[in-house]
Amino acid sequence: MNPSLPWFQNLPLWVTAVPLIGALILLLVPKEKRRVFELGALAITIFDFLLSVPLWFQYDRSTAAVQWVTSLPWIESLGVRFSIGLDGISLMLFLLTTFIGFIAVWCSFSAIEERHKEYYVWLMIMQFSMLGVFICQDMFLFYLFWELMLVPMYFLIAIWGGPQRLYAAIKLFLYTLTGSVLMLVAILAIYFLQYKTTGRLDFSIASFQAMAPVIAAQGGNFATLIALALFLGFAIKVPMFPFHTWLPDAHVQAPTAGSVILAGILLKMGTYGFVRFLLPIVPSATKALMPWFLALTLIGVIYGALVAMIQKDMKKLVAYSSVSHLGLCMLGVFSMNPNGLQGAIFQMINHGISTSGLFLIVGIVYERRHTRMIADFGGLSKSMPVYATIFMIMTMSSIGLPGLNGFIGEATILMGAFQAHPWWAVVATTGIILGAAYMLWLYQRVMFGPINETNLKMKDLNAREIAYFAPLIVAAFWIGLKPTPIMEVLAKPIEKLVTQVDPSFYQREALAKVQAEAARVGMAGMAAPAHHEAESHESAPAGEAHGEH
Amino acid sequence: MPFAETLWGNLVSDLPLLVPVLFLWVVGTLMLWPLGSWLLKAMPKRQWSGITFVVLLITLVLVIKTPMASGFSGMFKVDGLTQGFQILSVVAAAITVILSQPQLNALQEQSVEYYALILFSTSGMMLLVGATDLVSLYMALELMALCIYILVGYLREQDRGIEAGVKYFLLGAFSSGLLVYGMSLIFAAAGGTTTNLAALNQALALAPHNSELMVFTGVLLVLAGFGFKVAAVPFHMWSPDAYEGAPTPITAFMSMAPKAAALGAFVRLFGTGFSGVHGDWAAPLSFMAGASMIVGNIAALRQQSMKRLLAYSSIAHVGYMLLGVLSHDSQAGAQAIWLYMLTYLLMQSGVFAVIIYLQGKGEGERIEDFRGLSKRRPVLAFAMLVFMLSLGGIPPLVGFFSKFYLFKLAIEQGFVTLTVLALLTSAISAYYYLNVVATMYFKEAPEGESQPLGSGLGIVVFATCLLVLVGTCLGPWLMDWTARIVLV
Repeated sequence: MNPSLPWFQNLPLWVTAVPLIGALILLLVPKEKRRVFELGALAITIFDFLLSVPLWFQYDRSTAAVQWVTSLPWIESLGVRFSIGLDGISLMLFLLTTFIGFIAVWCSFSAIEERHKEYYVWLMIMQFSMLGVFICQDMFLFYLFWELMLVPMYFLIAIWGGPQRLYAAIKLFLYTLTGSVLMLVAILAIYFLQYKTTGRLDFSIASFQAMAPVIAAQGGNFATLIALALFLGFAIKVPMFPFHTWLPDAHVQAPTAGSVILAGILLKMGTYGFVRFLLPIVPSATKALMPWFLALTLIGVIYGALVAMIQKDMKKLVAYSSVSHLGLCMLGVFSMNPNGLQGAIFQMINHGISTSGLFLIVGIVYERRHTRMIADFGGLSKSMPVYATIFMIMTMSSIGLPGLNGFIGEATILMGAFQAHPWWAVVATTGIILGAAYMLWLYQRVMFGPINETNLKMKDLNAREIAYFAPLIVAAFWIGLKPTPIMEVLAKPIEKLVTQVDPSFYQREALAKVQAEAARVGMAGMAAPAHHEAESHESAPAGEAHGEH
Repeated sequence: MPFAETLWGNLVSDLPLLVPVLFLWVVGTLMLWPLGSWLLKAMPKRQWSGITFVVLLITLVLVIKTPMASGFSGMFKVDGLTQGFQILSVVAAAITVILSQPQLNALQEQSVEYYALILFSTSGMMLLVGATDLVSLYMALELMALCIYILVGYLREQDRGIEAGVKYFLLGAFSSGLLVYGMSLIFAAAGGTTTNLAALNQALALAPHNSELMVFTGVLLVLAGFGFKVAAVPFHMWSPDAYEGAPTPITAFMSMAPKAAALGAFVRLFGTGFSGVHGDWAAPLSFMAGASMIVGNIAALRQQSMKRLLAYSSIAHVGYMLLGVLSHDSQAGAQAIWLYMLTYLLMQSGVFAVIIYLQGKGEGERIEDFRGLSKRRPVLAFAMLVFMLSLGGIPPLVGFFSKFYLFKLAIEQGFVTLTVLALLTSAISAYYYLNVVATMYFKEAPEGESQPLGSGLGIVVFATCLLVLVGTCLGPWLMDWTARIVLV
């Protein structure tokens, strides 16, 4: 591990702290000054984003180690340390958070009509707690941030949301809280197991991951219960079928910025939790439960897409498409091989970009017409050409058109899934096809066809709106056309993760490659004994798929 | 007379242990007669609370200065547990006094007896947490309870107050009967030679095999008696009515001080005296804890009255704290309960200060009355928000840290199922706490402004809110400190 940085030299720590400091400053401003809050919050988040950009360049891609580590003693009697740091996986989500952050602020300028002070302060606290989740390297700290996140989200939905906002907010709160308290039990159980076996009181994530063999060796169904508790905590957050019912309510009722944050970042917490905790801490139990997890995942992919198709409300449609897309993401995670995991993380980033974009798009027509019903629109491409173009790009990004970001994620996930089990990939592909169907159908119904009087008078995007779409579009194209820089960042951490989950994975792969090579030069009989032949045959596509990038 | 000399010598050497209690007795007695009649003539009634408050502050200093020792032939002991819970009781009493002043003024019910009863009851609690003998334990418990019976029925003009007082008294007396009967069974089973807890523990271990049933019955009855005192399910029936009917400051008092004291004694009695027969009481106590969490939290969901909501929620909180009593390690259990009680006391007094503030002349204690509070009184609403989230145990507020500390202990001790239950029910509790928040922040204010009570209450709200927030920042270290302070 890298040497520990003094806290004041730790750039990610400052990036995390800026929104909190910003919130405290905003608190001092008198509440009538609407413009100060809007521009102030925007300045804070843009500054925060710019501050986080150097991380991308500083990150050492040649190692899987956690970087920018700062670890200070905190609660000594419990072994809790204030320890932070980022590895490749958390770095990408960290950057995604600062990126989505300023867009969420920017899109709120016209949407939020009352209680500006509270709104922007809550938004800043939200930003702070989300960054905190990704940066912490200590389970206790992680749990604190994980729960803290609920409070600002509750208020964002319950004050500035739609007509059913109270119901949606409390539902979100209770669902997530229930999941996370179970997670807490699992955390404590591992903590005490660690104390019993090693005599150490330590909450650090690394030490929890190191407990994996001990947990697996426990008698009874200890490991299974731990896996289930963690699974439930994260699955509710993702959300996976059948725990997804809070999501459509929360999305539909939330203000646009709330939906953007919810879809863009909050849901990623769940998938991040799977990657960071469930797989490395209880790999064998996860494998044992895999048929169940996979069944739920695949049901989610298909079910989400089918339900999205019949929606009459645009926002609900996008919400259900999230269920389907995150199902794909989970499929990548559960493939437990480099392709699948890499694709899953790509999918998190892509979903963050394209679904945020789609929610912004829905938000724009809602601000103008105060309705989100698909039936109320039609022919908008005539009155709003710029809007139509951006909508098109986001739709394409969402359905995975090659050249845009969505494709990279979906393709790698399918490769990973195919390697693990071809049939999963087949089912998942059905989901992707359905995804293209409902998105294009949505586009067709809203953008083409006859236009009525009201819709004809709708104004096209103004400069501010174009300005906040621009970064999303740039990101979508950038990832779509040149994904290698991100792959480089992810490569080592994923390698480490795969080794944690399946220690012999790379040896098997290397063996398969050697054997394939040997077979090609006609020495199959000598290099590979007969009983290895079957294995070599099976793994051959894996080697090829891996070699593509 | 050597006997008398020894007696006198013992008394002199042991008396310092009881200085704070004696101080309260002397002041309380003086208040009732000579000083009281002078006060009646010389001072306006509203200033009595000030005197009581100062007396309690002095008591607090005395408690901290008391030497750590055991005395009175092993009937009373001052250790970290005694001091810790004594401090909680005195602080709770002091807060009650501040809360009482404006309310009693508004009702025109100020009287010197009210404050004297609070002092006597507090002295009972202070004895209770230090009692290391069945007899002194019972005596102290009764001293505490008798005063509170009167205080609950203090508003004798109101039917509800009388009902609450009588109900509480009858059930309380009944539970005392159970307690004494249980104690006598245990005394007999242990050979009838000692009532001292430590000695009792040894004697129970040596008790003949055929007295097992007697011990079991005795422990069960004592458990039921304590269950009544701390309002744990299924002995909780009295609590919502008593909470609702009592004057609001006394409701606050009941939810903090006697609970703290009774839980302190609970840990000592079961951890020291009955630790050898843990198997006898672990299952019934687990049932009580689990049932309290479930019933308390679920019943609270449907309450319209703020005081009843708090009554049920406090049943649930007791359910959590019983996890600490269950612990095999009574010191760690006492520490966890102490920290929980400390934070609970802060939040609870803040909530009651807000209620009394809004209550005006004894009306308006429904949740409905909180509608639109965030617009009418933003600071008050914010304070209430902090209290509610903290009571619900939402990180990073201080309530989370105390819950974490307690549940961590429970898992360490192997009560995983109960802890899962506790965590799930505390997720349920978030619903009704957030419901209050939602009422304040998202519902329109009713027509017509009520007249809130001013003066000291604002300060209490402000101070407790500040303390909760400070505790939030210090939360992690609080756990460290607790581990060093409360030592049995």
